[in-house]
Amino acid sequence: MPNPMLSIEHLRVDFPGVVAVDDLSLTVEAGDVCGLIGPNGAGKTTTMRTVSGLQESTRGTVKVDGHELTSEPGELKRRLGFMPDFCPVYDQLTATEFLDHFARAYVVPDRAKRIAECLELTWLTEKRDALCEELSRGMKQRLVLAKTLLPDPQVLLLDEPASGLDPLGRIELRKLLLQLREVGKTVLISSHILTELSGFCNKAAIMERGRLVMSGTIAELGQAMTGRRMSVKWRDAGDRALQLLKAAGAKNLEAVAQGVTFEFGGDADALDGLLKTLVVEGVRVTEWRGSGDDLEQIFLQSGAKELM
Amino acid sequence: MNLIDNPIFLTQKRLTHRAGVLAAALIAGLIGLSLLSGLIAYLAAPRDFDFHSPQEAGKLFYGWIIAVEILVLVIGGFSKISRVLADDRKAGLWDSNRLTPLKPAEIVAGYWFGSALREFYMGAVLAGIGLVIVVLANLPVTLWLGTQALILGTTLFFGLLALLAGMVLQRPNSGILLLLPLFFLQMFSFDFPRFTIINFLLPIYGIANLFQGPTSSGNDYTFRTWHSWPEIFALPVPPIVLSLGLQFLVGIFFWRATVRRTANPFKPLLLRWEAIAIFALLVVVQQSLVWGIWQGRFGNPLAADSHSRDAYDYEPMLSIVQGGTILVGMLILALASPLPERVRVEALRSGLGNLRLVFSRSAAWLAVALSGIAAAASATQFIFSFKAHGTAWALAAGNLFLFFLMFSLLLEFCRLRFKRRALSFVVLWLFVLCILPFILAGVFSNAALAKLSFLAPGTIALAGSDSDDLKYLAACTLAQTGVVVLLFIAWQRQWKLLLAPTAPGPPGKQVQN
Repeated sequence: MPNPMLSIEHLRVDFPGVVAVDDLSLTVEAGDVCGLIGPNGAGKTTTMRTVSGLQESTRGTVKVDGHELTSEPGELKRRLGFMPDFCPVYDQLTATEFLDHFARAYVVPDRAKRIAECLELTWLTEKRDALCEELSRGMKQRLVLAKTLLPDPQVLLLDEPASGLDPLGRIELRKLLLQLREVGKTVLISSHILTELSGFCNKAAIMERGRLVMSGTIAELGQAMTGRRMSVKWRDAGDRALQLLKAAGAKNLEAVAQGVTFEFGGDADALDGLLKTLVVEGVRVTEWRGSGDDLEQIFLQSGAKELM
Repeated sequence: MNLIDNPIFLTQKRLTHRAGVLAAALIAGLIGLSLLSGLIAYLAAPRDFDFHSPQEAGKLFYGWIIAVEILVLVIGGFSKISRVLADDRKAGLWDSNRLTPLKPAEIVAGYWFGSALREFYMGAVLAGIGLVIVVLANLPVTLWLGTQALILGTTLFFGLLALLAGMVLQRPNSGILLLLPLFFLQMFSFDFPRFTIINFLLPIYGIANLFQGPTSSGNDYTFRTWHSWPEIFALPVPPIVLSLGLQFLVGIFFWRATVRRTANPFKPLLLRWEAIAIFALLVVVQQSLVWGIWQGRFGNPLAADSHSRDAYDYEPMLSIVQGGTILVGMLILALASPLPERVRVEALRSGLGNLRLVFSRSAAWLAVALSGIAAAASATQFIFSFKAHGTAWALAAGNLFLFFLMFSLLLEFCRLRFKRRALSFVVLWLFVLCILPFILAGVFSNAALAKLSFLAPGTIALAGSDSDDLKYLAACTLAQTGVVVLLFIAWQRQWKLLLAPTAPGPPGKQVQN
């Protein structure tokens, strides 16, 4: 069984008149990139702040690499990096000075080298001598991410990292997150914009009204869906394909160019069987895509959509 | 980690220098040099001035230096530190620093010493010029050393208070408002400077005392008022020692509070034992300062005091102390009183949704403890006259008990019932219970109405009342007990309402920083 890098058990956080997080249990293994998904007010930020130690919980435990937040806060601080959903920077410091402040605080060895590395990783080398107040929102976001990466934490908590960014900034951030995934960081990333997370999350946890609705790998979540939506395209024998699909139990067929989308109630094996039947019957399938591995699809079917 | 490696200190230093310090230092220098040039002008042509001696001239010019230093370091420093901290908190930088492996004490020290560096440079320039003035005017260097030590102690003391203000207040500039009550109290203590603790927490008496040199006239009223040393249970103590000692002891509690809040912002500012200790310290020192007036024989005619004005001037002293005790007690109870939400969360954690938990967390029992301490401290004034004047003491002690209990119950009731509007309702009810009777007494020209105030029984009993008056005050106290009982019933009901939905669940470990 893989070693959970981040483990949250029965977490509950109360605010006056509201239970912000209610009995949340979640594990993220080493190297996982887990998307914490939910509408505004679902409890994502509260969960992140509680895991980082900024918010007090009513009950529950949080462990990072086996170290518990309550008893070993110092160990946890060294292993965990938290990037909030805004940009806390000293406006009158340069980017390098800002990173130097935190490099000293984390007692990072060979500060100058590490600062240069983090600036390069976040494409801010050219802006190293610019005052923080002169940086754009996207650059500030990247600078805060660079600050978070300074002590080389094992676990990264990124709270709505793309909020307020323009499309270009989002693309840059996306590239950066892919890089982090490649270097094997464990990442818990929250967002209510699903397209931000699609593509680089291998796990997802869906929250609604403080509760965890479902969690698991994208594939597991997709398989757990009933009536999942599929997309198929072909080059010819379209009529035959439609007949076969209907015969196999496909519902709500909608025509698209050179194909259809449809809902299918069977499990993954049944889907495999359906594809095999189509091919054997002479349908030249050019695209076979399960919408079930799409975060948007998972989210919409999770029951959390009421708040959107 | 020492201060010069402290990243918070270094960053604050960097930010201060980036914003510029030269202009500020030059302003301080110009003020100081102007005063110095005044002294030099006097020394060059003494006949053109009204001073009797170079020392007199030196004291005046050095006094101005001290006034500007206090303004810059204490007021300016307080404002700067509280603003920097509140701004950093708002910007999320406070949390960012808390997430680093820096110890809470290192974070606090960084802000404490680094935030007001510009003010420190200005103070250093003024202190340097002050030394030149002291030397040129042939004044003792101990005057410079003593006053500078007092200013430094006060700056550090108010720096800690500023940190607390910055941690608690939402608006950065409102921290300075915290100083107003202190200066307000200080103004009222000018008639009895040697007997009021506020003149020692603020270094007013210490500085004024150092200026009373041997050249002052023994018959001079100012000399008599400010020259003698304060007495702790009739034992003379150097005012500079008393000031620095008090600031140090109270400062320890401030330091603990700032470090605790940095480690976990959800912790209370004052722990219960700290609330009791700080209250006991202030009340005992205050009672010991006035002990020399009656020497345990309160109510008997005062012995002639060679240092004082007529003895009857001191008669209201214990009433004033009673008023001050009520004020300090209110402040401490307000700081130590738990927020209802905190108690609810604790009830959820422990699975105990009952009033036993409320009683163990509420400030109500703290009110009982504080009134007990205050009563014991004031009993020292009666130890040799208890038989004749014990009723006055009992009324004063009972009044403190009822007032503190009423205040703690009222505060918690309003927080539970009115939530965000609690403060306005607390003020409203305090006005009704404490101030309105005085207004009605004025309107209807009936002094008896004023005695219904929760402030009245103790202060009036200690002002030297006759037996009929004491009986009426006892009746008023009984009526006030009824008010407190009603308040207790309402308070209990509100707590039950809050805790009713608290479903007992399995206790789990608490997650905190």
